Amino acid sequence: MKILIVDDSSTMRRIIINTLSRIGYTDVVEGDNGKTGLEKLGQGGVEMIITDWNMPEMDGLEFVKAVRAQNPVIPILMVTTNAAKEDIVEALQAGVNNYVVKPFTPETLKEKIESLLG
Amino acid sequence: MDQSEIDALLAGGAKPSQPAKAPARDVAPAPPPVAAAPLSEPHADGSGHVISELDTVTAVTERESNKVMDQLDQIGQLVNRQQKLITGIMGHEGAQSPGVQQAIHEVMSAGKEIQDKVFEAMDLMQFQDITRQKLERILHHLRQIHDYIVDLLGTGLKSDTQRPSISHTIAQTGTTPDENKAHADAVIEAFKSQKKG
Repeated sequence: MKILIVDDSSTMRRIIINTLSRIGYTDVVEGDNGKTGLEKLGQGGVEMIITDWNMPEMDGLEFVKAVRAQNPVIPILMVTTNAAKEDIVEALQAGVNNYVVKPFTPETLKEKIESLLG
Repeated sequence: MDQSEIDALLAGGAKPSQPAKAPARDVAPAPPPVAAAPLSEPHADGSGHVISELDTVTAVTERESNKVMDQLDQIGQLVNRQQKLITGIMGHEGAQSPGVQQAIHEVMSAGKEIQDKVFEAMDLMQFQDITRQKLERILHHLRQIHDYIVDLLGTGLKSDTQRPSISHTIAQTGTTPDENKAHADAVIEAFKSQKKG
């Protein structure tokens, strides 16, 4: 399964990639903002998206809306520092399937990914 | 032309009168004195020096965090290699006595613990992204102050560099993993129930 990770922090992308590899997902593509995320998605084969919210050029919320305009079913997990109730609701309304607040444990990421794929 | 001559040229000075000493091994050169950076002094990008320096700090910490991650990756790979070697030893005829087998199992178990600690350390590196976002928020406020002063004085350049969107709740974000999990899960559950109903 190919997973697209979109985050402007290279450290955070590595942490997510490490966690994914520990739970058996090694096929990943990366984008450092919504714009590059859309480019990678356009190349095909992506079956799940993990995205940050706060990014330059195109933020995670705009990215999710753009993805949903072309693909209403692909599972999207938002991983962000935004913890306010209004933010979580806004992300869910935009089309996010699940939400993780940073900092997270690998168990939480695993649980959320499995719930999206199950 | 040696480094001291290049430095002198860059500084706009003449060739130094004293020949430069050969750099001593393992001794870092003394950093140049840093002048106090005024916030509102225009910089090349239209922002203040302080803003520019904070930007540099965030970039450097990200780069250095990746170096730490590289080291942790290497430790993980070395432990993996060690585990494979030990697994090979276990099959040897001379290693079949219960005492040796017991010792091998203990070494394997210690290796697994090291691997777990390496992964744990990697996960803790999330603090870098959180700190970076806190600095981004400070930078956002500094830019607002900077632009306000520019407006007020009617002189200078506004900060126009494109910035990432910032988290409005980052000030309350700590470094304890999953500290907001229960809250987020409750909001998600409530949203889903409302949607169903």
